[in-house]
Amino acid sequence: MIKSFIYPIKELIKGLLTVLKNGFKEKVTLEYPEKKKILNNNFRGKIKYDKTKCIKCKICQRVCPAKGTIEINETFKINYSQCIFCANCVEFCPKGALKITKEYELATNNKNELIFNEGIN
Amino acid sequence: MMKDSNGIMTKTSEHTMQINVGPQHPSTHGVLRMLVTLSGEQIIQIEPIIGYLHRGMEKMAETRTYLQYLPIVDRVDYLSGFFCSYAYISAIENLINTDIPIKAKYIRTLTMEMNRISSHLLWLGCYLLDLGATSPLFYTFIEREKILNIFEDLTGSRMMYNYYTFGGVKRDIEKELLIRIKKFSNEFLKAVQEYEDLITNNPIFITRTKNIGILSKEDATEYSITGANLRACGIQKDLRKDSPYLIYNNLEFSVPIGTISDSHSRYIMRIKEMKESNKIINQCTDWLLSNIEDNEINTKINPLTIKPNGTSLGEVESTRGLLQCYIEANGTEFPNRIKWRTPSFYATQAINTIAKGFMLPDLMAIFGSLDIIMPEVDR
Repeated sequence: MIKSFIYPIKELIKGLLTVLKNGFKEKVTLEYPEKKKILNNNFRGKIKYDKTKCIKCKICQRVCPAKGTIEINETFKINYSQCIFCANCVEFCPKGALKITKEYELATNNKNELIFNEGIN
Repeated sequence: MMKDSNGIMTKTSEHTMQINVGPQHPSTHGVLRMLVTLSGEQIIQIEPIIGYLHRGMEKMAETRTYLQYLPIVDRVDYLSGFFCSYAYISAIENLINTDIPIKAKYIRTLTMEMNRISSHLLWLGCYLLDLGATSPLFYTFIEREKILNIFEDLTGSRMMYNYYTFGGVKRDIEKELLIRIKKFSNEFLKAVQEYEDLITNNPIFITRTKNIGILSKEDATEYSITGANLRACGIQKDLRKDSPYLIYNNLEFSVPIGTISDSHSRYIMRIKEMKESNKIINQCTDWLLSNIEDNEINTKINPLTIKPNGTSLGEVESTRGLLQCYIEANGTEFPNRIKWRTPSFYATQAINTIAKGFMLPDLMAIFGSLDIIMPEVDR
């Protein structure tokens, strides 16, 4: 009878001590807008386009899983509101005209600002 | 019993009523609607209504090339994307008869087991949150964050990896990263011990989970339930042991099994699985560290040109159970049909059998313990 009372209390105290122990651990969070995370070079963010290297082969358009995100006609057009940041286009670009950057803060009030348009040489 | 299409607080007879749980319920891990018939507080019947997160993954494949579909596959189950990637890629590798390099096999195993831990950690935190305990969520997320940071440095993304490619992996794993993984795996057991101190024998947790939501062996096999939920019943079924893929033959690990599958036992299964995964991670990092000079990580197949023919089935023991991807190819760059067999779907269907007869407040304790994730159910 006494044992059935003591056991739960013992376990509860054990749990509380674990919580207490965690209070003295070092901080794991970042104060985000002020401090930013250091990103690796592999990080897949916004895509940078180099018009001097582009040969208009349209492979980026062909490998893109989100259809209609990249359009090449007179201009190189990429719509970041549809992009899923898989970087397939960067990987398969034969001339290296596309590069990934570490830019990821793309939130905006205007949807049109997410459409990137640049003329091709 | 009268059925109402809206189902909100409908009195069906003098003693029973129907209520809606979900689709916007914080504990359904996505959007699942459950039409629950109650008598007082006792559950008489549950009807799970799925489809709120349907994105047409299978239909999408028919209009995309094999390469275009590859990044989308990660989204079938966004908590353990590596498994879905592997199931899809292994099916295609079977069709084009490729044997992947040994180093790629080790990297794939390592990443998948780390993914298993990260997914289980999220489950553990959220499950305890469902039961009303807030602090375990923060503790599990500390460890999960470490894994996600490693994944981010390795693959470029935290959850949507797009890391596997036909015939291997895309990028080699650096020594620095391996040392970080080694450090993580050494510290991880301590963290699991902490969770166990906090949760396993906690009297409140035991009262809420022990003998709640019992799944019998017969029901489990009848509903085709796989993974930890099945092993908790005492049936030893694990694809890693039954038909080893990748390098699971060379690894030392055991598959934990339970006796009675109640909510508590399913929790124990997942804790034990995390420890076993940690063992595998240790062995893989040791091998990779001793073979750091080996540069062959893929077979250099051009994914743009693959045009497989025939049918193939890729399968993997994922976090939630047996995950299969069936591909019917027709010799062009587009597949004829892709079918996903996802373990959560089967667990969702069994909820009526498991939760019948228990109280409404127990429903989330039962549902959470099954580790169901909705994108995988609806896909």
